[in-house]
Amino acid sequence: MNALLAELIKLKRSLSWPVVVLLPLALVVSAVVNTLVSGQPLEDGWATLWLRSLVFGGLFPLALGVGTLASLVWRVEHRGNNWNVLMSGPTPTWRIVVAKGIVVAGLSAAMQVLLHLAVLVMGEVLGLPGGMPVAYLGISALIMIACVPLAVLQSGLSMVLRSFAAPIAVALVGSGISIMLLMAGLDAALVSPYGLFSRTTQLGTGTFLDDGSTSAIDVVMILSLSVGLTAGLLAATTWFINRRDTHA
Amino acid sequence: MSYIVTTENLTKRYRDRTVVDGVDLRVPTGCVYGFLGPNGAGKSTTLKMVLSLIRPTSGAVQVLGQPMTRQTRRDLLGRIGSLIEAPPGYAHLTGAENMRLVQRLLGLEDAQVEHAVRTVRMNDQMDKKVGHYSLGMKQRLGIAMALARRPELLVLDEPSNGLDPAGIEEMRELLRGLAEDGVTVMVSSHLLGEIDKTATVLGILSGGRMIFQGTRDELFAASTPDVLLDCSAPERAQAVLSRIGPATLEGSAVRLAGPGNRAVAGAVAALVGDGIGVHGVRRDEQTLEDVFAELTSGGGL
Repeated sequence: MNALLAELIKLKRSLSWPVVVLLPLALVVSAVVNTLVSGQPLEDGWATLWLRSLVFGGLFPLALGVGTLASLVWRVEHRGNNWNVLMSGPTPTWRIVVAKGIVVAGLSAAMQVLLHLAVLVMGEVLGLPGGMPVAYLGISALIMIACVPLAVLQSGLSMVLRSFAAPIAVALVGSGISIMLLMAGLDAALVSPYGLFSRTTQLGTGTFLDDGSTSAIDVVMILSLSVGLTAGLLAATTWFINRRDTHA
Repeated sequence: MSYIVTTENLTKRYRDRTVVDGVDLRVPTGCVYGFLGPNGAGKSTTLKMVLSLIRPTSGAVQVLGQPMTRQTRRDLLGRIGSLIEAPPGYAHLTGAENMRLVQRLLGLEDAQVEHAVRTVRMNDQMDKKVGHYSLGMKQRLGIAMALARRPELLVLDEPSNGLDPAGIEEMRELLRGLAEDGVTVMVSSHLLGEIDKTATVLGILSGGRMIFQGTRDELFAASTPDVLLDCSAPERAQAVLSRIGPATLEGSAVRLAGPGNRAVAGAVAALVGDGIGVHGVRRDEQTLEDVFAELTSGGGL
């Protein structure tokens, strides 16, 4: 808990916040702009707006956003002597890894909340018929959960690689490969945090692996994969950091 | 004597390059230990191994009576404050926010943090962002961060780097004050003058090897200064003495390089035997710098 409280202080005046706010806005605005430019109306109303914002975001932009957040959160630790201080303090490595993971996952969840609200506001502004489907609330919650392993992976990469851009590049490549596997109809993509996240953003939309209905099996699968991947990635990062030397 | 840090045959190799070579540190509890050596001698690497930031290739480290390993380090590190290389601190936060962060992380009382900040005389600078601090201020904040936990051992790697003379003097006073409070301080430097007046025990590292470890007096005793012979016919005396060993003319005196007592007696006898009057025989004044330079250039005693 102490490690997490300390992490929260570091978020003050952090550059993470503009990313959290701007990326969801950019996704919804681009969905509307695409609609206007392509001349294809939002034929299914809310469903189409959701699909053009969320599913598109889930293909790679949101993963890049999570990667950017992780790189921003870790960048300060790789400056000056902060890494040595972190590694020469009494806080166990696993607590540092978990606290950072929670921070990145928390920022990503805030991003999802804003994205949900942005779609809601944009839909109302456009005067889409009926209200936003209540089921989207549940899907948003699942997206936040499925984002946790992605956040932990990106946090671990930013921790280990010490570079700002490299982990974001990994997110791009990881998302690309996962999308290809999903398009090929391969469930195997779900064991990658990128694939699991993309798949969850597609829930209920009838795109890629999704048949348009969200079954209990889908939900249980997403939840259990999220928990398993998160635990595994946290353990792997801790193990790696405990074995590694600080740079000479 | 009880030691707060000991190492046995501590060695670090990177591929075929040996950076630290069989170092046996003995840091007595309660001392200010000056860890000296030219840049690249392996001081930082040794200190990082003491803190388990780097794992030794071979050898072992004991700190506070316990083996320092990756398994034990987090328990021991709560009792050790350290400042390695560049000063720490989050540039986007103020000094006070940085200290609050340390406070939360270590579960410290307000009083502990205030005491640490007062000790480094940073009370008036805490509302500024660390990004706007001078190097000296960053260094002092870093020390406050290390001190807040009331460590039993404080490890400082080149804390005077980049400080102006006033800052260096302030650092000396700070270290002395800490030692008086019972904190063992291990401080490294490539400049002897910086820690000469504060350190009670010195360790000198050169090329990864420990070439001296002991008190200042022991260091002087271990190195033999030159002898100057004042005599009536210096030039003739130089010729006579050159047969015994290296002798150079220096005004009305002849300088013999580092002779032992017996060699000095022999030199005087030779001069007297040759009919040269000897007015004075004295050991040259030797500064610690001379000893240090001699040791590090010659590679050992």
